[in-house]
Amino acid sequence: MKVSFNELQGIGRKAFIGIGFAEGDAIDAAEMVAWMEAHGLGGVEALKKGLRFLLAEDHNESPTLVYQDEDFSVLDAHNHSILGNASLAVELGYARARGRGLSVTKIRHCHNRILIIGYLSRLARRGMNVTAFWRNAHDPLTELVVGFKAGHPVPEICLYSLENTPDETEKNDGITLIMANHVDLLPSLRSEYELTNLMRQTEEDLEKQRDRALVEGMDVDDELWHNLKSLADRLLVEATDASRSGAGAGTSDND
Amino acid sequence: MATPLDAQPELQLRPADQVMNLVRLGSLHASRLSFCRSLVRQMAREDWTVTTVRFDLDADGHGVVIYRLSTPNHTYHGVVFSQHLDPELRSDRVIAEAWDVTFALLEGEVEESLLEQMAANVPLQEAGRQHPRLLVLSRANKSLRNFGHFVDALASGQQPDPAWLTRVGYLYRTTAVYGNGKFGIADYARLQNNPDFNRPFSAQMFAVYLLRHFSVQQVEHLARNRSPERAVALHPSLQRYLGIGNSTGLGMAPFLINHPQLIQQWVYCRERALAYAREQRPNEASRRELLALLHRAHRHFWETVTEDAEQTRRNEATVVSIDSVIEWLERTPATPNLWNDLLVWADKQCSLEAQELINTLLIELYPDLIDAVEDELGCEEILELQPEMRAATLKQDIEARFAWALDYDPKNPDHQYWFWYRSVEKEEPRLGVRACEPGSAKEMPLAIGPRIYRTHQLLDAFLDRSPRGSVVEFLMAHPRQKECVRRIQTMAATPYGEIQANLWHRDMKPMHLLRTKLSFFGASRFDPKSDRWVRVTLFQGAPLFCELFSDHGTDKARLAELDDWSFPVEPELNQP
Repeated sequence: MKVSFNELQGIGRKAFIGIGFAEGDAIDAAEMVAWMEAHGLGGVEALKKGLRFLLAEDHNESPTLVYQDEDFSVLDAHNHSILGNASLAVELGYARARGRGLSVTKIRHCHNRILIIGYLSRLARRGMNVTAFWRNAHDPLTELVVGFKAGHPVPEICLYSLENTPDETEKNDGITLIMANHVDLLPSLRSEYELTNLMRQTEEDLEKQRDRALVEGMDVDDELWHNLKSLADRLLVEATDASRSGAGAGTSDND
Repeated sequence: MATPLDAQPELQLRPADQVMNLVRLGSLHASRLSFCRSLVRQMAREDWTVTTVRFDLDADGHGVVIYRLSTPNHTYHGVVFSQHLDPELRSDRVIAEAWDVTFALLEGEVEESLLEQMAANVPLQEAGRQHPRLLVLSRANKSLRNFGHFVDALASGQQPDPAWLTRVGYLYRTTAVYGNGKFGIADYARLQNNPDFNRPFSAQMFAVYLLRHFSVQQVEHLARNRSPERAVALHPSLQRYLGIGNSTGLGMAPFLINHPQLIQQWVYCRERALAYAREQRPNEASRRELLALLHRAHRHFWETVTEDAEQTRRNEATVVSIDSVIEWLERTPATPNLWNDLLVWADKQCSLEAQELINTLLIELYPDLIDAVEDELGCEEILELQPEMRAATLKQDIEARFAWALDYDPKNPDHQYWFWYRSVEKEEPRLGVRACEPGSAKEMPLAIGPRIYRTHQLLDAFLDRSPRGSVVEFLMAHPRQKECVRRIQTMAATPYGEIQANLWHRDMKPMHLLRTKLSFFGASRFDPKSDRWVRVTLFQGAPLFCELFSDHGTDKARLAELDDWSFPVEPELNQP
């Protein structure tokens, strides 16, 4: 079915609260999904994949600070979706960069990582240069680099695969964020390894996608919509005769 | 973009604790900055034209009517579906499932395939899937008494009694006017670069205005069908005096609370306009102009009828207050401080509704500068965190800017008497008594005051442990405070935006919230049906489509004359 941006954001917000998210996290998560979908970055598909895990997570468990100094923070997200309260880990990096000029933040052990792009847009609009980097453990190995210029609401995105990279035993389930107050940090491909550029999306590409989504609406499959609606319905209160008078209106207006 | 009012750095704005007091907000009136007024000015200035491209109504007035709107920028169509409605189903509540008319405003052309899709979905309203080219989706029910009287009168060759429109100022009342992506229609973001409808709610207001035109055409059609030989057209004065009703309830409250930045813009624009007007040097002509406006408003409120005892008392108090204002203004010469003296005097002598009426009328006197702010009524809405801020600064901001929220007392049951929720019945917003009704665990978080109080308490304890801690460190300890903190940080930078009331409090009157929003829309004739349900009239007195066309001239004096329709009074007809 076709839905509008506001509709997807609205149902997402209610569904996330229905799951148990705090209001702020639900608002952020819904915006991340809708923002990604509107920009052609698969927000709905990512949510579809992650919803089963979201339902099983403890939403009161925040990312834990593993290490920090003035410039560098490492947080453990406990294998939770980035849609939960991982935004605070990002905000920690933002606060450090505001204070020190540049910060590096690593969020370990998280999934649904692609959706973080939707939140990073907020930081860029606040005037921060942001680069996010992570690896996917596909075969071949892929790396994704997202770069926002300060003040630009959409990024440039580069996804490429690497052949013949050295053996790596660390699980690829983290994100590294670099933020800088005053310096552009855009992705520029250069490597001594063999690269295959799988995707490169410019700001212009993403803005066109968004304009198209606003005109044509966005596709959401019926099953996901039904699931989100059921979760959102958890916020509704059963009707009684007393509650019907709680709206303050009569039932007939034949006057 | 700078506006003339920006060049007035010394403007003395009223303090937020006065302006954002809920009882005062609940006393506001439609003003020249209200969306209805603004839209009509735009239509006249830009020579918008509306033509009927299809009029397929049967002898009962049921069928389809399509209108084409041409602006200097685009073409739109309004499509109205009129159907028989079983009286048992006629309800203005959101839980209704059928209506007398359903209609939509859409961008571009109405191809046959789109019309078929609309015919299958628009009458279903929330239960349908709407096309993304629709800008507005709405429905309305008849005022049965007025409708019957109008058709009877016109069919018998007579004009309806104008007093009927003074009692109830419309033939149809809308029960919801949806925009911004609801049920698949176009997002508001799509209109932000469209000069026709980029102001808040302007597309919705146009759809309502178009329904007014339809209602006249439909009653005339029915009268002609009933009595082709004798039927007459509705007198132009009555067409003007005919508005469109709106029936609304608690759904207004979540919007007001969930859009604080938009509310800030609306109130800020109005307050700047007032501050500017207040500082102007009056002369004899402007004093006389204000007196003329006061006389018309006096008659408007004297004529206004409502069954609600409290609103009747308020209307009577307004009439008494206007009498004294007129008397005061008649004997006071146009000294340089006249406006300021008047407002100071009125604050002491007049009811709140009368005080705000005087403010509203004063704004009318200076259109050239004040109307420019109507382009600032919209804004980008995003509540942003400042995670690097010191937690101690946040606490100070709360104490300085949100002191009203700290009046909350969690031990006092009256301070948490109500809870707001959505019912499983079509998500209708309702209000429950916390102590005795089920559902408070699922309440909507609309009571901002108690939330700020809670954040302040947690900050206090956090600062004991971490006196130099930052906001992000506070939030990592209390992640559920994120939304409240970013709201505080965003809104603390603005003069208005937060309604300074505890929406849980036993003494809180939901009607004030409804009236706040409706006044910005441009509603008049407030007719409460309970403490949380109200009927109002929009566009009563507004010029007709046929009067707006530039064939009649677009000089400034004519446009000003067209714009002068606030606080309409009952017309006198010279019937043969």
